[in-house]
Amino acid sequence: MIYSLLVLSSPFSGHCSRTAAAFAHCVITRGHTVRRVFFLDAGTLASAANSVSAQDEDTSMKDWAELANQHGVELAICITSALKHGMLDQVEADRNERPFPTIDSLFMMSGLGQLVDAYANSDRLITFGG
Amino acid sequence: MILHTLNASPSSSAFEDCLKTIAEGDAIVLMGDGVYAAIAHTEVSRVLEDTGAALYVIADDAMAAGVLNISAAVSSIDISGFVVLTETFPLQQAWY
Amino acid sequence: MTAVTKKTILIVLRHSPYGSGLAKAALNTALASAAFDQSLDLLFMGNGVLQLQPDQDGRVKGVKDVGRQLASLPLYDINHVYVDAQAVERYNMDLSKSPVEIRRLDGPEIRQLMICYDHLLGF
Repeated sequence: MIYSLLVLSSPFSGHCSRTAAAFAHCVITRGHTVRRVFFLDAGTLASAANSVSAQDEDTSMKDWAELANQHGVELAICITSALKHGMLDQVEADRNERPFPTIDSLFMMSGLGQLVDAYANSDRLITFGG
Repeated sequence: MILHTLNASPSSSAFEDCLKTIAEGDAIVLMGDGVYAAIAHTEVSRVLEDTGAALYVIADDAMAAGVLNISAAVSSIDISGFVVLTETFPLQQAWY
Repeated sequence: MTAVTKKTILIVLRHSPYGSGLAKAALNTALASAAFDQSLDLLFMGNGVLQLQPDQDGRVKGVKDVGRQLASLPLYDINHVYVDAQAVERYNMDLSKSPVEIRRLDGPEIRQLMICYDHLLGF
């Protein structure tokens, strides 16, 4: 089956964002396809390249990195939410006269049309919020 | 049939709204703050049992929260078990 | 982008308009879905019904008015708007001036509605 994930949870409160990453891994392990993971609202903070965690805390970044690098899963962040949360790629940094990009290059700036494309072409849409 | 995922405590409006729509034949996965609804011998766990829905809790989330006295009606699953449920249920509603 | 497949979706709006970014995220998702020709309905449930509160004025706080944005819904191809009747009652809301036609549903009717779609998007 084809799955898409919608992640609304911030990676900095609760562990829902990490659950979403683990879920995507298991979907692939079980022989399904992940068409896209779409990050919206506070979910876009998962792309924060410069977030520094306490030494004894894990972040979800390495889980997302493995999905993107090993399995080629598309990690799409909603551009409107991302910009509001200070998440910019090189193009947006240049366009908005900010000194440097703030998102990890694993993530792709996208419009909400990519969320529509994801659910329209998936058998399952699983939402992670809260 | 609907797979409900609850990521909010039993005193939340999310829980209230979830209960309003859940029916026999559905399944509910308790995660994050939702794991507190799995605590045995509580009013909340009895309410959940009465829905006739299949009840699950994400084991790691329950363990992280120190919820060890899980109601006998609630099955502990890992993330892979969660994925298996989504294979069976065509619809998921996230309550949070 | 071409969303070649057409799905039926229900967007479930459960949060108050200004307490988080979720109301706006849901509304933008609804507008994008309509723009890409999907078949969608909206359901306001629990605190989500507060998004329909008349006489909102977000400008007072320098934010975009969720109520005003909702008023633009009829311009898009959104089929039906449903509300949780119990929540409307709880907040003693007057929906008579609503810019869109709204159908009130009780709990069992909400459930009946939810199982009619390809996907549920819970905000």
